[in-house]
Amino acid sequence: MTGLLRILLAVGMACGILVPPDGAVAADAKRLNIVFVNPGKTGEVYWDMVAQTMQAAGRKLDAHVEVLNSERNYRTMQELGLGVVARGDKPDFLILSNEESAAVPILEAAEAAGVRTLLLSNTLIGDDAARLGPPRQKLRTWLGDITTDLQTAGARMANALIGAARAEKWQSPDGKIHILGIGGDEITPASIARNAGLQLAVAAAPDVVVDRMLFANWTQSEAEQVTTNYLSWAARKQIRPAGIWAGNDPMALGALRAVTAAGLTPGGDIQLVGLNWSEDALREIKAGRLLLTDGGHFLLGGWSIVLLRDYADGCDFAATSPRVEVKTSAITRDNLAAVGDLIKTRAFDRIDFTRFRARAGRCGQYDFSIDALISSLTPLEGTAD
Amino acid sequence: MQNRDDMTDRDGKQAARPRLRSVVRAMIWATVPVLLLVQLLASAGVEASSFWSQIRQLDARIARVAESRAELIAEPLWKMRYDQVTGVLNEIMHDETIAAAAVYDDTGTAIARVVARPAGQAVAEVSRPINYSNGNMSVQAGRIAIAYSYATLYSDTGSRLALLLVVGLLATFATLIAMRISANIFIGKPLAAMMSAIQRSKQDGRAYPAEVRSSNEFGQLAHAFNAMQHTTSGALDRLGHMAAHDPLTGLPNRRSLSEHLMTLSNDAGSPDSLIAFCFIDLDDFKGINDTFGHDAGDKFLVHISERLRDAVEPQDWVARLGGDEFVVIRPEVSNEATAQRFARQLLDAISEPIRLHDKQVVPRASIGLAVRRAGDPELSHLPALADIALYHAKSKAPGTVAVLDETLQRDYRRRRDLELAIPTGFAEGQFEVWYQSQVDLVSHDVVGLEALIRWRHPEHGVIGPGEFLPLIERSGNNAQLTRYVLTDACRALKRLAAAGRPQMRIAINLPPSELADHSLAAELRATCARFDVAASLLELEITEGSLINNIASASETLHRLRRLGATIALDDFGTGYSSLAHLRRFPLDKVKIDKAFISEIPDSAEDKAIVGVIASLAGTLGLTLVAEGIERAEQAEAMREMGVMLGQGFLYHRPQPLEAVLEWLKEQPARESRVLADSPPIAPEFAA
Repeated sequence: MTGLLRILLAVGMACGILVPPDGAVAADAKRLNIVFVNPGKTGEVYWDMVAQTMQAAGRKLDAHVEVLNSERNYRTMQELGLGVVARGDKPDFLILSNEESAAVPILEAAEAAGVRTLLLSNTLIGDDAARLGPPRQKLRTWLGDITTDLQTAGARMANALIGAARAEKWQSPDGKIHILGIGGDEITPASIARNAGLQLAVAAAPDVVVDRMLFANWTQSEAEQVTTNYLSWAARKQIRPAGIWAGNDPMALGALRAVTAAGLTPGGDIQLVGLNWSEDALREIKAGRLLLTDGGHFLLGGWSIVLLRDYADGCDFAATSPRVEVKTSAITRDNLAAVGDLIKTRAFDRIDFTRFRARAGRCGQYDFSIDALISSLTPLEGTAD
Repeated sequence: MQNRDDMTDRDGKQAARPRLRSVVRAMIWATVPVLLLVQLLASAGVEASSFWSQIRQLDARIARVAESRAELIAEPLWKMRYDQVTGVLNEIMHDETIAAAAVYDDTGTAIARVVARPAGQAVAEVSRPINYSNGNMSVQAGRIAIAYSYATLYSDTGSRLALLLVVGLLATFATLIAMRISANIFIGKPLAAMMSAIQRSKQDGRAYPAEVRSSNEFGQLAHAFNAMQHTTSGALDRLGHMAAHDPLTGLPNRRSLSEHLMTLSNDAGSPDSLIAFCFIDLDDFKGINDTFGHDAGDKFLVHISERLRDAVEPQDWVARLGGDEFVVIRPEVSNEATAQRFARQLLDAISEPIRLHDKQVVPRASIGLAVRRAGDPELSHLPALADIALYHAKSKAPGTVAVLDETLQRDYRRRRDLELAIPTGFAEGQFEVWYQSQVDLVSHDVVGLEALIRWRHPEHGVIGPGEFLPLIERSGNNAQLTRYVLTDACRALKRLAAAGRPQMRIAINLPPSELADHSLAAELRATCARFDVAASLLELEITEGSLINNIASASETLHRLRRLGATIALDDFGTGYSSLAHLRRFPLDKVKIDKAFISEIPDSAEDKAIVGVIASLAGTLGLTLVAEGIERAEQAEAMREMGVMLGQGFLYHRPQPLEAVLEWLKEQPARESRVLADSPPIAPEFAA
C-alpha cells in the first residue's frame, strides 16, 4: 500500500515537474470565485460536510468558495441566492441545491444575470424539469447538475441486509425474511430513489418481504417510535424481524435504540443499515451493532469544485454529460478504518482533489469511488500505517 | 184536572232538572277529549317517528364518522404513526354523542383508545374496517370502533314531548274556550231563544216566535220553528173552533151550549130579565134521509140552519146539538108570550118549502120552549127543561110550540120516576098481565084471551101500557117484558087447561124490536115446553110498523113462529100503512081492525065502508078478522053484518087479572068445537 502510494507520488511529482501543474495553469488563468447557497442548517452534518469538502477542494484547486447558510429556510435560501445574482461583483459560479424546488427562481435570475450555475444533490424535477428542459438549453448559464445514485445505494443496503439474514437463517415461521423499511419521506427525489432501491432489491428476492415501509421524517426519534411500533406489531404477528432498512443514519440509530429497547441484540438478532457515513453510524459499525452505512455523497461538495475547475480550464464535463451522477459507497467494518478518521475529524484537506480532475481528452469522465478516495488521502501525521 | 196538572208538573220537573245537560257541554265533552287524545297521540307519533329517524340519522352519522376517520387513520395506522392515529381519534371526541372510540390494528390490538365520558345507558357501537391502499397494495390495516350514546336524543325527545304535551294542552284549552264561546253563540243562544219561546207558549198557549237572527242552520231552524208555531197556533184555533162548532152547519155545538149557558146569567142586564130557550127538533127528519139520501139530509140541515140564522136577531144565539136538534136562545124577552111568538116565528121560518132533488119538501119541526129568569140558579138545566116541553110537543102535537109549564114538568117528573122504577118493577113483580077475552060475535062464546100488561106501581097505582111501554122501550127492556108476558101467558094457559078450557088461546103483543130477534122462536118453544103447553095456543100480535122497518127479518121470524104452531095477528090494522100487500106477503092468520074504525060505527058510513072492504079482503085471503074496542051492542051487530067473526071490547069483557078472568069464565059456557074449527091449519111438521 505504501509502495503504491509512493509510486503514485513519484509519478505525480514527475508530472508536476515535466508538465506545468494544473494549479499553476489555473492560477495563471484565473482564481475562481464560487458561491454555495447551503440549504441546510448550521450543525446539520451532511450539509456542513458538503460545504467543508467544497472549501477543502477550493483550497486545492485555486477557488474561493463562499458558503451562505439558509438555515433550512427556503425563503432565506431564495433571498440569499437572488442577492448573490444581483451582486455587482458577480461570482464565477453559483452552486445551488434544488430542495423543495426553491432554487428555480434563483436559477432563472442567474440566467438573466449571466451567472453560471450548478445544481448539487437535488436537480430540477417535475414541472420545472419539463418546463426548463435539460441544462444549457433554455437556461444557458445552468451548466448542469451533480447528484448521487441513491437508488443503487438503497439496493446495496437492502442486499447487505438480505445477505446477512440469509446467512443467519433469520426466516420467520412463514419461511420468509421479514424486513422493515424506514424512509425519510415520500416526496423528495433523494428519498424516493433510495426507497426504490430497497423495493428493487426485495423484488429480486422472493424469500424476502418488506412488512412495512414506514416514514420517520429523517429523524431519529420518529424512527425509534415507528420501529418500536413495528417490533411490537411483529411480535403480535409472530414475525421474526430480520432487518431494518433505514433511509439515513439518524433513522437507523433511532431504530437501533428501539431494537435495543425491545430486548433484541442489534447485529446478533437483527441487522440494521443506514446511510450517510455519519460519525455515530461509524461508531455503531465499529461496535458491530450496525451492518453498514452507505453514502459519501457529502463529497459532492468537493467533486463539484473539481467539475467547475475543469470547466473553467476548458475541459467541460458536458463532453460526457452535463449531468454527473456519482455512485455512493458503503462503509462496513471492513473499510471503516481507512475512512473513519477522515470523517470523524473532517480533515478533508487530506484529500488530494487535484487527482480527481479529468484527464485531457476524457473530459467528464471521473472516478469518485471510495477506492480512489482512499488512495488520494495523504497519511495522517504520525499515524501512517 | 188539578191532579193531572200536578202530575204533569211533577213529571216535567223530574225530567227537566236533573237530566238537563247542555248540548254545548255535551259537544265539548264529546270532542275535546278526542281532540286532546288525537293531538297527544299525533304528537307522540310524530315525535316517536322523529325519534327513530334521529336514531337512524345518528347511527348513519356515526357510521360516516367512523368511515371518514377510517380513511384518515388508514395511513398513519399502516405506517404505525400511532400518535397521529390517537390525534385523529381525539378529534372526533368533540362530538358529544360519542362516548368512546378505539382503533385496532390488523392483529386486533387496540392501537389507540379514547374515552370521553362514562358510558351511560343505551350505548351503541359502530365498527368499520380501516383499509389502507397505495399504488401497489390494498390491505385492511385494522378496524375503528366508536361507542356512542343515545342519551342526548332521549333527553331531547323527552323535553320535546313535554313541550308538545304543554302545547297540546294549551291548544286544547284554547280550543275548549273557543268551542265554548262559539257553541254558546251559534247553538246555545238560538236554542235558549227557542226554549224560551216554547216555555212562554206553554204558559199561555199563544205562539211566541223565537228571536234568532242568524242566517245559519239555527237561523233556518228558528225560522221553521216560528212558522210551525204560527201553523200550530192556527191549527189550535181551528181545533178549538171545530170542538165548539158543528162542522156541517158551522153553528155552535152541544159543547158550546154548556159554555154559553155558563155566561148567560153574567151577560144578562139584570137577574130578572127573561131568557127564552127554544129546543127545536125536526119532525120526520129520518124520513127525509131515507127518502132523499144522507147528502140531501145534510143539505136540508144546512138550509134549516141558515133559516134559523136569518130568523134571529144579532143578540140571539143559534146552535145545532146534533142530528135534527137545534137550539135558539134569545137572551132577553119581555114575557112568556113574546117568547112564544118568537118560537112560532122560528117554526114559520123553518116551514118554508125546500127543494130537494127537484121535489118540494115542507120541513116541519116541533119546539120546546123554556123561559127562565137570568138569575135562576137552575139556568144550566134549561136544555133539559126545554126538552121536556119538546117531548110533549113531539108526542102530543108535532109541528107546534110547547111551552114548559108546571103540568109538563110534573108529567116529566112522573115519566122520569117511572123510567127509573122499571128495574124495581121487574124485580118486585109490579108488572101484572091482565087478560081480555076475544068473543065470537055470533055465539058470544069466549074463544081466546089477549094478554095485556099493567104496572101496579106502589105510589102511582095501576098504570096502563100506553104510559109506560114507551118508557120500557126507551130503557131497552122490551125483550124482558115480552119474556115476562110470554111466561105469564103460558102459566095462564096451564091454568085455563086446568079450569077446563084447554082450547083457549092467549094472544101476546110483540113489540117491533122482538121481530128482529131471531132467538124469539126458540125461546117461545122452550117456554111452552117448560110449561107443557102447545105453542099453537099462543097468538102473536104484531103491528104493521114493525113489519115495515125490517121486512126480511120480520118475515123470517114470523115463519118460524108459525111453524111452531103459533098464530100471527096483525094488530091495529087501518091506522098505519094498511098495506094490502102486507096482508098477502106475511104469514098472517088474523087481522085486528083498529078500534078507531069501530068507535064511529054504525054512524060513520065511511068507517063502515072501510071495515067492509077489509072484511071482504080478509075473506078472500082467508084471514080471520077481529074487531077491537067494541063497546056497544050495535057495533057488534054491525060487525057481524059485515062478516067480522070475532070481537073484543068493554061490551064483553074489561081486562082483568087472571084470577078474575078465570072466575068470570066459569060463568061462560064453553064451545070448544067452534074454536077448533076456526083455528088455522097447523103446519105439517108440527101436526105430526
